[in-house]
Amino acid sequence: MAVLTRRRLSFHPWPALVGIALAILGLALMVSSLFLSPDRMFPQPWAIEPLSYIGIAGVVFGLAVAVSVYVVSSIRHRHADGLNGADDWSKLTEQHFETFQHDLGRPMRRILGKCREARGVLAATGEDVSAVIHELLDEIEEQAPSFRLMMGNIQVMINLETPDAPIERYPVEPSAVVSRIVERYTGQAAEQGKDIAWWSEPEDFGLVYSDATALEHIIANLVDNALRYGGDYIEITVTRDSYNFQVRVADDGPGIPVHYRAHLFDRGWTPQLGRSEEKTSSGLGLYISRTLALRYGGDLTVESTLAAAEGAHTVFTLTLPVGTPGS
Amino acid sequence: MAPRSGNILIVDDEAASAIVRAVCRRLEDEGWGTTVVGKDEHGSADEMMWAALDAIDQQLPDGVILDVRLGEYRDDQFKGLDILKRIVGQHPRLPVLMFTQYSQGVERDTVARSALQVEAPVEFIDKLASPEEVALRIRRLVGAEPRSIAVGDRITVDTDARTVLVRDVNGQTSAVADVSGRRFDILRELAEAWYRSPGNMVPFDRLERYLEGDDTRASLRVRVREIKVSLGRALGISLGANDFIVSVRDRGYRLLPPRE
Repeated sequence: MAVLTRRRLSFHPWPALVGIALAILGLALMVSSLFLSPDRMFPQPWAIEPLSYIGIAGVVFGLAVAVSVYVVSSIRHRHADGLNGADDWSKLTEQHFETFQHDLGRPMRRILGKCREARGVLAATGEDVSAVIHELLDEIEEQAPSFRLMMGNIQVMINLETPDAPIERYPVEPSAVVSRIVERYTGQAAEQGKDIAWWSEPEDFGLVYSDATALEHIIANLVDNALRYGGDYIEITVTRDSYNFQVRVADDGPGIPVHYRAHLFDRGWTPQLGRSEEKTSSGLGLYISRTLALRYGGDLTVESTLAAAEGAHTVFTLTLPVGTPGS
Repeated sequence: MAPRSGNILIVDDEAASAIVRAVCRRLEDEGWGTTVVGKDEHGSADEMMWAALDAIDQQLPDGVILDVRLGEYRDDQFKGLDILKRIVGQHPRLPVLMFTQYSQGVERDTVARSALQVEAPVEFIDKLASPEEVALRIRRLVGAEPRSIAVGDRITVDTDARTVLVRDVNGQTSAVADVSGRRFDILRELAEAWYRSPGNMVPFDRLERYLEGDDTRASLRVRVREIKVSLGRALGISLGANDFIVSVRDRGYRLLPPRE
């Protein structure tokens, strides 16, 4: 905060001082014209104290220069300040968000911990409790992944909107990232009677140069969407060629209508908006995922079929460059 | 899950919290032994660090679950990384699973970079992860398959004894004699892949290594059908095309534990 205050109150004196110096010089000429005989300096008919005119012109011109240069420089500095301010603001927002995450995470961990403890006790004792209790415990557990993803989405949004945020690439094993995502969602999928299968081709996929956090975030959003809107079966495949690697997330759900597909990657759009229903998600996941994919030199596309044909009905394909060390 | 001999050390300032207790319980259910180093017994993050390093030297655990943030003081926010560096310095092959606040953010980025720098078996997971996810991650990180793998609640693949054990509807456990030899090898391969990463498909060619003849693909299909018939009979249920061993897009098979 101190940095922000200092920047906002900072004064940029040099352009104005040049103008003021000109004005003082003009004033000096005016004063000197009172003491010098114009006859000595200028022949008639220009003996009407030309130094005074030059001095007055100097003062007016100097002040005009001082004011205009100051105004122009202030506007430019304000613009520059705006950029620096935005940068600082983003950092500040990120710091606040970290604190917010931590403070919100603590009670969330306690609630989840108690929920899991209660489940353990009920399982161990076989105590017959109301179905409402089980529903409550299920609901808490099911909301946890959404909470984790939502926090991640907000964090990525802050990073994406930070001016000049660095793009980092380091060795990543995409098949390990997919494996982690499957581990995260297997339990939730099983609870919903759904099933996730995955494989990589080649089986020993090897490394690419990318950002594991971004990759994990994109795939998590795609799997979360597939669980939310897809059918009972989700399939994730990882493939590669010499230049790119692809992660394909397919589901056997009802498919996405054509008029929805045009808005799928819009910020804040959810299927409920198209049906004037209450939003059940932030509508940020796919927007963030595609923005991240483009940022890392790739793309995120969707194909969907509504026909009740065999095979997947909706397929999201993430394509990213395999990269090179230092790329 | 069948008993294991492995031990996991958990270092967390919230060791007494319900969420850490739930993780311990899940690991113990899977047969891991757990040792916890928490703040209640050791007072400060520094004391926790020395206690953790001492426990590693004394017990030589199979893996460590280590919280990044070991307190609210600024110096303690990344204390876990100090401990990680010391662990990697002394035990570079010891798998470490770092507990972070969330899956994104400065904390995770710091952990990810640190993990890359040390080139050790280090991964990170956010603390809201379910105990099942933590256990899965520890399994994969530690790497070695256990002597026996429980697939669901009623099937156990004992890799040491090369036997499949099934608990019937009366709660009686017995070996399935028909699943032996090559059939056992195929089932073991599928069970180990499932254990390492649920949902992971095993390509046909990896399974066809156990078979001979001109048409190993057809032979594999026959063996898979035989395994399902034998297990179905022992379980007292019928295992269809989309049960237990499932073909994936004519590329391979994956294991799908029977739902209770």
